[in-house]
Amino acid sequence: MFKTEEMEINLGPQHPSTHGVLRVKLHLDGETITRCTPMIGYLHRGVEKICENKTFFQGQVWTDRTDYVASVSNNLGWAEGVEKLFGITVPRRAHYIRTMLTELNRITSHLLWLGTHALDIGAMTVFLYAFREREEILSIFEAFCGARLTTTAFRIGGLREDLPPGLEKLVRAFQARFLDCIDEYETLLTENRIWKKRTIGVALLNAEDAIALGVTGPVLRAAGSNYDIRKAFPYASYAEMDFEVATQTAADTYARYLVRLEEMRQAHRIINQCLDGLPEGPVMAKLPKVLKSEVNEVYHAIEAPKGELGYYFVGEKGGQNPYRMHIRAPSFINLQALSKMVVGRLLADVIAAIGTLDVVLGEVDR
Amino acid sequence: MTPTLTQYLVISLLQIVVVMGFVMTLVPLLTFAERKVIGYVQVRLGATRVAGGLWGAQRGRTHQSRTFTGGLNGFMWWLGRWPVISIFRGLPMFIADALKLLTKEDIVPIEADKAVFVLSPALAMVAAFTVFAAIGFAPGALFYFPAKFPYLGGLPFYGFLTDLNVGLLFILGVASVGVYGIVLGAWASNSKYPLLGGLRSAAQIVSYEVPLTLSLLVPVVLTGSLNFNEMSTRMATDIPVNGLVGIGRTLLMFVGFFVYTTCGFAETNRTPFDLAEAENELVAGFHTEYSGMKFSFFFLSEYASMITVSALASAFFLGGHYLLPFGLQPTWNHFFQNSPSAFLAWTCTPSILWFLLKIFFLLFVFLWVRATVPRYRYDQLMDVGWKFLIPYTLVMFVIAALLRYAA
Repeated sequence: MFKTEEMEINLGPQHPSTHGVLRVKLHLDGETITRCTPMIGYLHRGVEKICENKTFFQGQVWTDRTDYVASVSNNLGWAEGVEKLFGITVPRRAHYIRTMLTELNRITSHLLWLGTHALDIGAMTVFLYAFREREEILSIFEAFCGARLTTTAFRIGGLREDLPPGLEKLVRAFQARFLDCIDEYETLLTENRIWKKRTIGVALLNAEDAIALGVTGPVLRAAGSNYDIRKAFPYASYAEMDFEVATQTAADTYARYLVRLEEMRQAHRIINQCLDGLPEGPVMAKLPKVLKSEVNEVYHAIEAPKGELGYYFVGEKGGQNPYRMHIRAPSFINLQALSKMVVGRLLADVIAAIGTLDVVLGEVDR
Repeated sequence: MTPTLTQYLVISLLQIVVVMGFVMTLVPLLTFAERKVIGYVQVRLGATRVAGGLWGAQRGRTHQSRTFTGGLNGFMWWLGRWPVISIFRGLPMFIADALKLLTKEDIVPIEADKAVFVLSPALAMVAAFTVFAAIGFAPGALFYFPAKFPYLGGLPFYGFLTDLNVGLLFILGVASVGVYGIVLGAWASNSKYPLLGGLRSAAQIVSYEVPLTLSLLVPVVLTGSLNFNEMSTRMATDIPVNGLVGIGRTLLMFVGFFVYTTCGFAETNRTPFDLAEAENELVAGFHTEYSGMKFSFFFLSEYASMITVSALASAFFLGGHYLLPFGLQPTWNHFFQNSPSAFLAWTCTPSILWFLLKIFFLLFVFLWVRATVPRYRYDQLMDVGWKFLIPYTLVMFVIAALLRYAA
């Protein structure tokens, strides 16, 4: 008369905390997860194929729309990848400005992660505190390039224009108060007993598994590895910057939280160095009107807020657009770790795990 | 003078109208307070206006004053210019909320068990509001009808509905019926997320009824009564002014207050124990399938239980109708009872004012906590209940018995 069976439940694609249109198929035994399958593709737009039909200049616009909370990072990856393909040397001043904006973008991305992750675990207030500061950085982007989210901030060969007057003042005003803001978030979370209970030991992923799955970024660094492309293969002007790679060894949600907070502090340091050491000079390299590629291929990776963001270009002779373009999206690859993290844990841990992986569905599906 | 039966019935009816009216007004006001308090905690304003026209769509700024809500919004805009009262901008929001819930489509899922689905919000609501029958808001008669008042002249008007000699038992018993509303509603929805919410709720309430009741046994043991008013008065005043027993009682009440309030948070499904409706995990938990007035019954019953918990905590641990909490009132009275200052002498007497202020403060704490802390996980909640609160309350119970024996 009575029988027990596992319950199959769909978490998403319409669900308050799957951060977009992620659908996770869960098999539950009570509240314990026995099987977890992320189902993706709800936001697939064929960005890679579209970019193969656009010129190198036009394609950058599409990179805004992959990881839409870190569009400046995506722009940098695209621009530097194409510059590598054509062997263009970018002026030093442009590199500095690019570095500064990319680090600001890292802060916005981490702030969005912090707010939504805390909201998922039930702490509502951090969300609005984080958005307050994120708003300020978005205004800086707006002052720089006229857009807040889909920035298309850089041009191949440098920047379209130099910094507008007054932007440095905006950035410095933000820099002056941001460290206190991080401390403010920390007062709400870091020593909060419930926060610690919900995050310590949750969604474990050791370094071995992380490397085997190709997981990069803060998730990998929280497991003890210090792999950071900014140090390992410096690009832009990171070789001239003095900063530390934030690492932790606990490999759990709490460790990732600490790593990301420390990364925001390091980003703050880098931005200060960029502002102080900003060299004079042009911001754009001399380029031909039309870029025509040779038979060539290039893989260029940068340390996006979510991990290793790689752009792979194949050029064909005389082509104005890439013959093949592929994005190695950190969100997509990090998402593979989800089932490893949550099987055998409780339903509430799935929410924490999705939050701690910091996936953006625009980048997962592309 | 003893009232006749009809006089008694008339006064009782009036009392019901006053007490229920008070609670029914407080509940929607509490939802407004929640918007504002959480808003200010989160560096935003909360509700400042009621958007849109009740009659037809709003047609631009110049036409705003011609609609009723448009004029109302103009008035609220004007209120915003003043320093303190500007927080009352958006006050009509609670009316708009109620109207919205009343006029929303009332959906009953095809697969649901219809009878139980309809019954369970009523069960939750009735249980949550019946409790107020036994809560003594005022220490005794609120006022006496003047001698010339027609029919009722000279009779007392009490600030409570019944002076039940098993009041606490009644409160606990009726309040626990409310859980059936949640569990049955979740089960009757025949849907997966509500099911999980209902399971969580059942487990949570089973675990937290025990420490909640045990922590309330402390005042029962100390006062030897189950009558709400008698317990409240004796907890506040019936304490030796000095000596080890008095200090022990004060400490016990201090700890008991926190333990009881913690259990109360769990009992009312409020953050950090709002697992049954954890919107980030279970969409909306047990009431996912509910809409319109049925949903708002659950909603209102949650807020009514918040008032109940606050009232019990104020009455038994925070000194009830007296000024000072934790049984410190006798010490205060010792010094100020015969004070020449009329005000200081007044602070030694019971008043409904202190009781209401304490309730309001505790309600504020409910909102404050909601804005501050994250949510426990299901198993951690069980841990807190069984491994921490139940042993604690048992120890408190033994200490209370010892104190009773010593006194």
